[in-house]
This record gives sequence, structure tokens and C-alpha cells, in this order.
Amino acid sequence: MPPAVPGRTNRVLLRIAVGTLILAMLVWSWFGTEVSVTHLLSSGPRIADFIDRLLPPDLTWTATEPRPFPPPLRIAAAVVGLTLQIALLGTALGMAAALVLGLLGAENLTPHWVHHPVKIALALLRSIPVILLALLFVAALGLGPLPGVLAIAIHSVGMLGKLFAEECETADLGVWEAMDSAGSNWFQKVRYATWPQVAPQVLSLTLFRLDMNLRESAVLGLVGVAGLGLWIENYRRAFDYQSVATLVIVTMLLVLVVDQISVYIRRRLK
Amino acid sequence: MIRLEYVEVQYGRKPAALSIDELDIKSGERVAIIGPSGAGKSTLLRTIKGYVRPTQGKVEVMGVNFMSARRRDRRRINRRIGLVYQQFHLVRRLTVLQNVLCGRLGITNRWRSLLGWFSPEDRRVAWSAICEVGLRDEVHQRSDQLSGGEQQRVAVARVLAQQPAIILADEPVSSVDPAWAEDVLELITEVQRRHQATLVMSLHQPNLACRFADRIIGLRKGRVVIDDDAAKVTEAHLKELYRGDASLPFNGATGRPRADQSRTA
Repeated sequence: MPPAVPGRTNRVLLRIAVGTLILAMLVWSWFGTEVSVTHLLSSGPRIADFIDRLLPPDLTWTATEPRPFPPPLRIAAAVVGLTLQIALLGTALGMAAALVLGLLGAENLTPHWVHHPVKIALALLRSIPVILLALLFVAALGLGPLPGVLAIAIHSVGMLGKLFAEECETADLGVWEAMDSAGSNWFQKVRYATWPQVAPQVLSLTLFRLDMNLRESAVLGLVGVAGLGLWIENYRRAFDYQSVATLVIVTMLLVLVVDQISVYIRRRLK
Repeated sequence: MIRLEYVEVQYGRKPAALSIDELDIKSGERVAIIGPSGAGKSTLLRTIKGYVRPTQGKVEVMGVNFMSARRRDRRRINRRIGLVYQQFHLVRRLTVLQNVLCGRLGITNRWRSLLGWFSPEDRRVAWSAICEVGLRDEVHQRSDQLSGGEQQRVAVARVLAQQPAIILADEPVSSVDPAWAEDVLELITEVQRRHQATLVMSLHQPNLACRFADRIIGLRKGRVVIDDDAAKVTEAHLKELYRGDASLPFNGATGRPRADQSRTA
């Protein structure tokens, strides 16, 4: 008879402990948020009423009767570009800074007294949600697109910088040594050993971030950044839900189109 | 050219990975280092390159003592020592020409090179290196589209672009299809002769070592147990060197008198 497989340490207790912990956290969350099925079910008429006010989306181009704001399609045509521009510029600025900080934050490229502080700085930058950053910048700089660009750029630096650094850390060090062997300095090694290895992934991550930033850009209107979100908020305050519906659809279309383009490019990068 | 005196290399608290009383390699010599796995072949090469700092002893390359030299001098020597790797270490996404131009990085204008700008001289040297290794037609192909043997040729061309005085090769044919191993070794020894460089290579196959080198250094547990002309190394020597290592065929291990052994080994 072949010998039995040597047993491994019994992990049952550990599994029970972890399972109990997860369950406890879910129960805690359930009571904390007072989620109640009966409340949801009894809201049926309210929901129906809301949907009724939302539909059909307002697709008029010329206002036939006096109204507080111009028709939503005109607004969409005017500001859809701005929402896209805020996302593009914010992502580009964020990527540029993230490239530098990503390289400096890679454990295998810089001494620990460089990459440790950089990693901490990146973590701090990305710990603040975009909408909070925007809220602060609106307070400091006033309404308009600028606070949105800055908020998106700063959050993107934190996210992309971390991902870039991790990418550099997985790059093959043999090539790095081969470049050193030819007498390269640090910049040359980064340029010829690290960059060609990480470039496709860096571009792909940036496009992915652009996707997310576009959604952020549309939401930032809620705190006063110019763009689609601001007008969704304006119409909502005027209880003009049919116009809100139009702008939500426009936002969805914009995000879907950019998402598809980005998926296409990212596939080509591989 | 290369001189080691009472060199000891130790990793952590383990017994010495390398322990050499005296080793002298003259300019233009063609040396093969052989020995079982873990005998210190790579460590010796990396000590000569300056990548491994001995715990004690003296390493002198091209008249510069690595143990006491300033950083500047070490870098100047480092640039003249070309290294061929087992795994090639090419930049996969770049073309053959771009890879070979990387060999010029230590010589060309550093800041311009960051923008991908190489001087006409760099390009001429790179092109002649590419022609020399026989990749004329593949010059603009991406290096990861080439076979293993061809990739090692690119790596050799990159070292040539560096215009080295010393060529080190760390198991240069271990990742190459056995059928192409001899071609690559022939190429390395040929360019070494033509450029009057000193060649030190570690090899896994004693038969190839005896055929392509003039001098054999046998390492066992970090110590030199063979140091002789390739023609004088006998099977008895090799048997002693590889004692306890079952992975090698010993009949005709020197490659003499049965020369066909090398194709199958």
C-alpha cells in the first residue's frame, strides 16, 4: 500500500473564527443602516410615482412655454464637452505626475528613503475621495471646471502612481542589469530597461482611469463643478425630473462610448 | 588582465561560495569555467564584473583594484566588460537594432540617448555588430519574435556594441536549443578572436568547454580544482570534478576522441 499523504495543520478553528467575524460584521451593518424589507415594499407607490414623474425624458429642443432653465438637450449639447474635457485634462495631469512618482515609489528602482515616503504620499493622495477634494477646491477656488480638474488629477496621481510603481516592481530586473552592464546611468536604465516593459500597462491603466474619471466628472456637478452633473442638480432642484432623466441618459451614453473606445484601445495594446 | 588574490565570497553565514587563492587571466585568453551546479561559476563571473563584492581578498581588472578603486574608476572598467546572460535579457518589445544600440548607452551622450537619439557612430558600430552576428535581415524585427539562438546572437551583438575588452558569458547556451549551442559558442569565440578580447565563460557541458576554450578552470564548492590547458584535461579530472553529480554523461565528456558527443550531450 502506498504511504498516506502527511496531514496538514488543522485549520477548522481558523475558518470558524473568520466566518463568525464576517457574519458579525454583516449583522452589524444590517442594524446600523436599518435596512428593512417592509420599508422597501411599502414604498411601492412612492417609487411608481417617482418613475412617473421621470418619464418620458424631456427631448424638446425649443422651449414652448416659459421655464426656469433651457431645454435639457440644449444644455447637454453645451456641457457634454466640458465634462469630457475635465476628465481628459485631470487624467492627463494625474498621469504625468504619477509617472514620476510611480518610478520614485518602485521598491526596486530607488533606495528605501525615497520610495517609502513616496508610497505614503501616494496613499494619502488617494485616500481622499474625488468628491471631497472637489468640495474643498470649490470652496477655495470658486465654481467652474478648475476645481474638478484638480480634484480628478490629485486622486488619479494617488491611484495611478501606486499602480505604476507596482508595475515597475514586476518588471524583469535582468534587463535592468544588462543595461547597467553596458554602463548606463539610472535614467538610461529606467528609459531602456523599465519603460519598454511597463509602457503598455501604463497606458492601459491610464485609459481605465480615464473611464472612471469621466464618471467622477459627471458627478462632481453636485458640489458645484461645471458640467453635466451641475445641470442634473439644477433640474433636480427645480423638480424637473423629465429633464434629469434626459441628462442621465446623455451621461450614460457618453460613459458607454468612451468605455467602448477605451476597451478597444486597451485590447490593441496587448 | 584579470587577477584575483585570496578572494573569498560569502553570502550570509553559509560556507564561502567562492574561495580562490590566486587566479590570473591574461589578455586575449579564452577561459571556460566548469563545475557542478552551485560550484560558484556565476559568482566568479560576477566578481570579475564587480557585481559581487568579495568579503576579503583583492580583485584587479585592467589594472584597477576593485576593492579600493573609486566609483568612477569602477564604472569606467565596468563599461569595458561585456556580459552575455543565460536568459539573454533583451528588451522584448524593442527591435534588434534598438537592443544592440543599448550596448552604446555607456559610451554615447547620456541625455540625448534618453530621447532615443544615437550618434551616427553609434549606429555604425551597432550595424557592424549586427552584421557580424549574422542578423542583417532581422535588424528591424522585434527581438521577441526571434528564436532562442538568434536572441543570444542579439545579446552578443549588444556586447560588441559596447566594444568590450573582456567578454564574460554566464552559461550562454543553457537556454539555447542544443542544436544551436555550438553555433552560438562558435560565434562568441570568433568575435572574441576578432576583437582581441579576453573571454571568460561558464559552461554546463565539459565537452563544449574543452572544444571552445583554451584553458579550463574547474570549480568545486567554490574552490579551483582544475586549472589547465583544455587539451590536458582528462576524463579522470572531470570525473573527480563532477563527483556526486549524476546529471552528466561521462563517457567522452571531454569531447575527445568522440567529437559527435557534443551534439547529443
